[in-house]
Amino acid sequence: MEKTSNKLKAKDFITIGIFTAILFAVEFAFGMLGYIHPFIVAAYVVILPLASGIPMMLFYSKVEKFGMITIVSVLMAIIMFVGGMGYLGAPLIIISGLIADFIAKSGNYKSFKKIIISFGVFNLWICANYFPILVTADSYRQDLIDGGYSAEYVSNLFAAINIKTIGILVVLAFVFGCIGAVLGKAVVKKHFEKAGIV
Amino acid sequence: MSIVELEDVSFQYKGSKEGSLVNVNLNIEQGQTVLLCGASGSGKTSIIRLINGLIPHYYSGELEGEIRVADHDIKKTELHELAGTVGTVFQNPRSQFFSVDTDGEIVFGPENIGLEPKEIRARMNDVVAEMNLEEILGRSIFDLSGGQKQRIACASVAALMPNIILLDEPSSNLDFDSIELLRGIILEWKRQGKTIVISEHRLWYLKDAVDRVLYIENGRLAKEWNGEEFACLSEDEVKAYKLRPVVLEEELIKEIRGDCSSSVCETDPSIVLKDFYFSYKKRPYLILKKKFKESDGDLLNLNIPELKIPEGKVIGLVGPNGTGKSTFLRCLCGLEGDCKGKIISDGVTYKGGQRLKMCYMVMQDVNHQLFTDSVESEVMLSLKDKDTKRCDEILDSLGLLEYKDTHPMALSGGQKQRVAIASAIASDAKILLFDEPTSGLDYSHMEKVAELLKQLSLSGATVIVSTHDPELISECCDYVLGLKHGKVIYLKESARD
Amino acid sequence: MKLDPRTKLFMIFVVSLVVMMSATTPFLWAIRLSITLIPIILLITEKKYASALRFLLAYGTALVLTFYFLSAESEGLIASLLIGYCGIVVQFMPALITAWYVVRTTKIGEFMSCMQKMHIPDGIAVSLAVVMRFFPTIKEEYSSINDAMRMRGVMLGGGNVLKMVEFRMIPLLFSCVNIGEELSAAAITRGLGGEAKRSSVVELKLGVADYLLMTFLTAATVIFVMFKYCL
Repeated sequence: MEKTSNKLKAKDFITIGIFTAILFAVEFAFGMLGYIHPFIVAAYVVILPLASGIPMMLFYSKVEKFGMITIVSVLMAIIMFVGGMGYLGAPLIIISGLIADFIAKSGNYKSFKKIIISFGVFNLWICANYFPILVTADSYRQDLIDGGYSAEYVSNLFAAINIKTIGILVVLAFVFGCIGAVLGKAVVKKHFEKAGIV
Repeated sequence: MSIVELEDVSFQYKGSKEGSLVNVNLNIEQGQTVLLCGASGSGKTSIIRLINGLIPHYYSGELEGEIRVADHDIKKTELHELAGTVGTVFQNPRSQFFSVDTDGEIVFGPENIGLEPKEIRARMNDVVAEMNLEEILGRSIFDLSGGQKQRIACASVAALMPNIILLDEPSSNLDFDSIELLRGIILEWKRQGKTIVISEHRLWYLKDAVDRVLYIENGRLAKEWNGEEFACLSEDEVKAYKLRPVVLEEELIKEIRGDCSSSVCETDPSIVLKDFYFSYKKRPYLILKKKFKESDGDLLNLNIPELKIPEGKVIGLVGPNGTGKSTFLRCLCGLEGDCKGKIISDGVTYKGGQRLKMCYMVMQDVNHQLFTDSVESEVMLSLKDKDTKRCDEILDSLGLLEYKDTHPMALSGGQKQRVAIASAIASDAKILLFDEPTSGLDYSHMEKVAELLKQLSLSGATVIVSTHDPELISECCDYVLGLKHGKVIYLKESARD
Repeated sequence: MKLDPRTKLFMIFVVSLVVMMSATTPFLWAIRLSITLIPIILLITEKKYASALRFLLAYGTALVLTFYFLSAESEGLIASLLIGYCGIVVQFMPALITAWYVVRTTKIGEFMSCMQKMHIPDGIAVSLAVVMRFFPTIKEEYSSINDAMRMRGVMLGGGNVLKMVEFRMIPLLFSCVNIGEELSAAAITRGLGGEAKRSSVVELKLGVADYLLMTFLTAATVIFVMFKYCL
């Protein structure tokens, strides 16, 4: 093939759309678990990176151009906003996507080490959704109780997610992002590379 | 002057070991209708992809030779520049739509190349009138049948007014009547003087439409007929080339359309089906699920109070699209939980979830039912006692032993289907159901499937196969079961030789 | 009633915004309810009675449960599950209904035209349009895979959680990748991604209904914010 341009083309935009849809479907399916117990909301940082590792590792190997992760994060921010998750986290989602994109680009989207780190950073977007719990802690707490949540649920939620634990959660999101990347890559190797799709 | 020129073209897909096309020379004149035929994997699709530029701009690989299409050097032309020149109708109607609504799909192409809205509307009206699409305008593509989708795909291509139209196995997912409509569209294009190139396995509907027929074998142009020669080919010649028949017998056509007089023959031994009622239309606003009864009449998509099907035979299930063939299969094997039908075999009654255990369906899209990373583990997943010897036996009988460690998704379409059949055998199901297993297959693969179905029935299984292929019925079916509007119209012995 | 896609987007924006701020007084609840009712009424005008009724029922049940049977003191497993359910429904249902209504009634063509009017880059518009188009596809594919799993008796992956996820995700990804390949090929051969500026047959025009609805939504939001934070 003559030239492989580094600009995103129509095909890439379609691929990005498809994987965003898949990513969202996966997040949604696992995200619903959060309503069983607030500790699961905190455990998103573990569950979601592991679950989304497989489609995302496939995605990383499919496009390999700058902008791919950024656009996914913009779309996710839009979907999260439309889905009623609020606007506070949206800029953070996009920033983590942008940084993840730069990291992967520095390895030309080929270096697996960079991809691991990139996916770890990308997963910080999960913490972005905790943002309202932290910033507006007191009013948000009252809001939730007035909005119909039980005091037990809310206090558990705040026990799990607060200024003190957020550091740990961010680290966890990153670490499990990296683990998710390694696991996802293993599955991609086991299936997609073996089948010759990638 | 030729509008399509391939000069000494060779092509090898990236990552594949052998060349897909070898030294192909081909000139197509303006206004010709050309049919490409030959076995799966012979290179028909690659030629189509060369003309529309998907090779080398979308599917990469090693390309040699010169390709000129309507004064464009394909190697140096961006794909979107060809949009108004070359149009392509693809095989799978499910995946070629960008829009969700039919109107939007028809105008999608003209919008992309930035035509004036007025011009686009005028084109759309013309196309709709030419192809009689009024009734399916303004609908969601998820509600359309395969045939309707394929007509919208044709309209969407026509709206760009390309001079060259390519069709890549367009009839694969269509029933008899839809193929007739497709034929009408192709004839209309021919009348307008378009250059048409069709790659196809089903040949009967094209025999008096084509000017040239190219037979492709292992990436080479092996044989060429003109239109008249092709229509006059004898049955034996066609078979020798491993092509599907060019002429269909009237009797078979009637059979496949479910057009026979109503009669249900008695068979013995038989499996009795009782109370198979089902409807996709939910009663609005009811939260509780309703049990369907015969008295629901027209509401039902499947309405079979009682039916005796011959045991240990191959039964062809026929009827036009949307008549309830797939519904029947899904209900029979218990996938539709709302259908409370019973299966009585050897005096034992199976209902509900038990049906899932005694039936096994090989789906139309086998990709959905392959889960593991090797052919062997795929079969082991269905084997109850995890016996590796039995697994090898099954694989050997299907000619899959050498692919034991291969990933199922790396196999060809026909092979994947055999893997699905292998796991069906491994599951020890008494009733094996096949949903249009041969729709996209070439003649030799179809013959293999037919042979396999016969073998399965000889080993004691009852095989029900829904199909639009008259050839498959004449090859292997012992009985033909005709459905219309969810009701059994006839069950009779097949008119096979 | 035909609404302009821009009005619909604005409605999504407003509903998401109001949902974010929880209602604390009966008056605020009233505003929130009236905003939630709009998409339901719109669904009814589109003759989508069944979905309108289903949403109404689910939302109503959750509201009644929340206010009459659950309180801040509720404890225990069943209560906490119920709270979870009501929490989802009350919090997210309004946004969900609106999104559902918009996705259901906006054609891809209208959407693209609207994005263009708002000067969103074509690439992002294409990606978003594909996301919208792809949800029903994922649903279709997933239900076929689910059927196949039921038939083969591997719903629970032999008791192995990883296998459960793998058996669902791998065929789904294979299908989606294949469909994506074919979809892109079909779109590109029809000129997507060319240099020509995309045109659109859909001419967007704001009508009376659009202005009325936007005014109402804006007013409701302003009043909501004022009563919640300023008084």
